[in-house]
Amino acid sequence: MRLPTSAACLLGVALIAFGQGTGGTISGTVTDVDGRAVPGAQVQAKNEAGAQFQAKAAASGGYTLAELPAGTYQITIASPGLQPFMKRNVTVQAGQTARVDASLVDFASLGSVGEDRTFYANAFGAHDAPTGPAPRTPDGKPDFSGVWHTLRVVDPGKPEPLPWAEEVTKERQANNMKDLPSARCLPIGITLEGLLLGFRIMQNPTVLAFLYEDELPRQIYLDGRKHPEESLSPFVGHSVGKWEGDTLVVDAVGFNDKTWLDIQGHPHTDKMHIVERYRRKDLGHLDVEITIDDPGAYKKPWSMKRATELAGADEEVGQYVCTENNRDVQHLVGK
Amino acid sequence: MMGAEKVGMMKGMAGAACFGLLCAAMPALAHHAFVAEFDANKRVKVSGTVTKLEWTNPHAWLYVDGKDESGKVTNWAFEMGSPNTLIRQGWRRTALKEGDQVTVEGYAAKDGSNNANARSVTLPDGTKVFAGSPATDGGPAR
Repeated sequence: MRLPTSAACLLGVALIAFGQGTGGTISGTVTDVDGRAVPGAQVQAKNEAGAQFQAKAAASGGYTLAELPAGTYQITIASPGLQPFMKRNVTVQAGQTARVDASLVDFASLGSVGEDRTFYANAFGAHDAPTGPAPRTPDGKPDFSGVWHTLRVVDPGKPEPLPWAEEVTKERQANNMKDLPSARCLPIGITLEGLLLGFRIMQNPTVLAFLYEDELPRQIYLDGRKHPEESLSPFVGHSVGKWEGDTLVVDAVGFNDKTWLDIQGHPHTDKMHIVERYRRKDLGHLDVEITIDDPGAYKKPWSMKRATELAGADEEVGQYVCTENNRDVQHLVGK
Repeated sequence: MMGAEKVGMMKGMAGAACFGLLCAAMPALAHHAFVAEFDANKRVKVSGTVTKLEWTNPHAWLYVDGKDESGKVTNWAFEMGSPNTLIRQGWRRTALKEGDQVTVEGYAAKDGSNNANARSVTLPDGTKVFAGSPATDGGPAR
């Protein structure tokens, strides 16, 4: 209760002092490490009362958040492919302008050609999608077939790791993810597939298959079979699907413990059981909810949500043979 | 309730804006975490002669003989994206050939080797090789 009261007092004082509008302004310029403008950067201001305000950087990199209630703000500035910028304790007073300039640093690929911020902006942004009803197979089930854009993380979920799993996650982050399986050309795991490159789904009444450019294909059996005693595909698990109305519910077990679950580096054990719910709500949109139940690593099951859009009919999923010339391993020092 | 409407708007935009931990841990989203190999505080700029372009997975590598102030020649290996990500941004395997003069900027390897990533490749006339070419609409291929 204290904060809103003090904010109101501050506002009152400001009104008396300046005798004008009740709002203040935060403005500034968003640039990259080369000093170039970052158009379209999302600027968010949040005050101690929890109110949030947004602006987008213009072509010049400049932004303005006007008519803000007086108070103390936390500013976050983000643009795909660049590390987010944060500044706390920015004071806004009525009738005055606080200046917050930001220099955003490249991350992930450090701006490497081919995998620069343009690449990430395309990969992580929402895409235009065709409109119309979801197609159906001859037997009346929703048909997920098509080439889909990269999956967007809508909700990363809130895993509650057991102490050992939390330690592993922290260690991976502290070492800048140097042991990411894909760096050694090992499969990245089904919960990370499709986050960087688009993928194709092929479906018939008995099996639905995911084809990836950079990962092993994955098959989901729709013919009513049970999980085998021993999985033949431990990196991606054994997956069986059934229909609940128009939602495809996939049950997957039979994993090894060598893949990572998410971009935070959460581990899992071979006790992991995954349930995915796929829904093609219309022609252009695919939603996925993934629930992870791994009593060997987490206190309770947790869920993440993804979404994507249908790509154009001319899009192709290529091939990527990671072991061709992997020269990175010996240079991955981590910190 | 002050700001309630704006908070509601934010919720819908959070995925696109990618604030917080979601972005902070995104180095994992690549073949390997570049920051585990290259030092974001060690910018390098090498001008010299292309000796080789390896058009291979998981990364294309551009080799450049660069001369320092003392005249000593060092062969630098610059890491780029995968051939497919490069192709989708307009690159071709014939984009550079042995003997071409280029200036490459990037970040040096943390381990002190003559490896670096390539942030940009510039030709003698100042044009950048396919830098900033718009990719397709985020699609997986073209």
